[in-house]
Amino acid sequence: MARQQPHAELRRAVTPWGSFAWGYSDVGADIFVGLGLVLAAAAGASNVAFLFAGIVYVCIGLAYTELAATYPVAGGGQYFVTRGLGDFLGFIAGWAVLLDFTIDVTLFAWSCVDYLSQLVTPLANTLHPWLHFGVVFFLIAALCTLNVIGVRESTAFQGFVSALDVISETAILGFGFLFAFRPELLVHTMQSAWPSRFDLMDGISLAIISFVGLESISQAAEETQRPASIIPRTSIALILTILIFALAYSNLALGMQPWHPQLDAHGHPIPFWQTFRLDPSTQGEGVALLAAQVPLYGWLAAKYVPLLGAVLLLISSNSGVFGSSRIAYAMSKEQHLPSIFERVHPRFRTPAISIIAFCGVAVIELIFAALPSLDPHAQAFYTHFFHGEDGVTFLGDLYAFGAATSYSLVFLALIALRLKEPLSPRSFKIPLNLPLRYGGEQAEVPLIGIVGFIGITLILAFTIATHDIGRIAGPSWLVVGVLFYLWYRTRKRLPVFGSLRRDWKHEQIEILRDAGELELMDQYIENLKRSEERRLKAGSST
Amino acid sequence: MIAYRAVLSAAFIVLGAVVIVRMIGFGLRLEIVPGLVLGAAMIALGAHRLALIARSRRAA
Repeated sequence: MARQQPHAELRRAVTPWGSFAWGYSDVGADIFVGLGLVLAAAAGASNVAFLFAGIVYVCIGLAYTELAATYPVAGGGQYFVTRGLGDFLGFIAGWAVLLDFTIDVTLFAWSCVDYLSQLVTPLANTLHPWLHFGVVFFLIAALCTLNVIGVRESTAFQGFVSALDVISETAILGFGFLFAFRPELLVHTMQSAWPSRFDLMDGISLAIISFVGLESISQAAEETQRPASIIPRTSIALILTILIFALAYSNLALGMQPWHPQLDAHGHPIPFWQTFRLDPSTQGEGVALLAAQVPLYGWLAAKYVPLLGAVLLLISSNSGVFGSSRIAYAMSKEQHLPSIFERVHPRFRTPAISIIAFCGVAVIELIFAALPSLDPHAQAFYTHFFHGEDGVTFLGDLYAFGAATSYSLVFLALIALRLKEPLSPRSFKIPLNLPLRYGGEQAEVPLIGIVGFIGITLILAFTIATHDIGRIAGPSWLVVGVLFYLWYRTRKRLPVFGSLRRDWKHEQIEILRDAGELELMDQYIENLKRSEERRLKAGSST
Repeated sequence: MIAYRAVLSAAFIVLGAVVIVRMIGFGLRLEIVPGLVLGAAMIALGAHRLALIARSRRAA
């Protein structure tokens, strides 16, 4: 196979709207999965769970925005951590992102089928688990094949679906808040159905999965025109849009009077949010069920929201296939993974081996997730050891673990890069900074980065404390990865816990030149010259 | 198109303010905090979009 860099063929053709749509089609799909899971776990405090995770997400979003605008390369979190904290932690960040991308493939393909089952009832996991498993498997295999032969949905299609979804969700929320929302019911639900501390922690750790996918900001950065100026504009709109939808859905779900409420055995209406506790099989279909309960608009929404949700989830699943191969390629280039992951198919010019390998991991995760519904013995095992967690929760556990691990390292990298590379021009800088002299240069420590790090570390602790599968499978994934890394670096006689020597200054100039950010490049060179002059002057005076 | 986007952005600011006022109507308590943040996020998004529109008009 020819060894060639697929990045060499990437064009910087993504417009501001394309950049927004890229991120939205990835992160925007998360609420379709997360809403039902969080309502089932955190009950009357679901909006508080989303608020906590949302504040952390805003901090993460700002960190990614600054880093992606400063270093517009596709490696994302793995690249930032390698640059800021060294090869070993960079590998761990990349490996955790890889876990998330493979879960992304399985979880969203799974939820896509769940949403379709609203229209095609036999697809429901509770009715025909083998058929459900087969369709999810088929979707993963189809996405794998399409990615190997190099077929991707166009940016225009992504933009169209994103626009349709933003309009649709705004309509659902608009009608919902106008005709079904009762603020007094929200307050009553929060007071009467406040969860235990354990359930609240569980809810918060699940709420973070509604905000995963910010890697797409940095992936888009490599293909966006003038990324340093475009990325901050689109990212901030994206961050706020996603936050608004998550908070609005959770407040509406707790305070809405359903249009056609379900009745309990005594004929009393069941509050909407309780549906997900009483019937766990509905947890993956939160938005579709809520949309159907919105007065006036609900009859229309019930017909198209499952389909729209399924399309958005499928795009998100595809971004997992695409993203995992791209991260594996970047890690291979940094010598974190063997060079086999860098190889591109001679005919299709795609990283076929990476795509097939990580789709294989996604299929293994699918088998583990589907086992309880396919086999009674496996169900008994899961009930005994994992409190009977089902497929979606299993995948959600791992998703939250991977995201919390990689994001916590990205916060540390943000702080480290502010100290180590204060001369790199930052077209967007997170506000609220503490000035500091470090290494002879004036640097700034981002206070929001520290707050975000504390928040995401708490979420990681909540995930480990509350998720029976996540606390075993998540760290196991990291241990397997670290052992593989140690074997590979030792075999190649590369530093195991240390880092390879790299000329970051030269690389930064190349990055800015490739991005077309020539003003920033000149500014960076000027900063380097002045710094050198200051050092020489200081040296001669002593 | 710009006028439409500006109206939409202004609507976001107004709706955000309405959300905040309605939530404050319940008195200052923990239950209103997610609603207050929702309103603040809507105002921030509207203001951000208006600022972008103003910047693009200045540039033109």
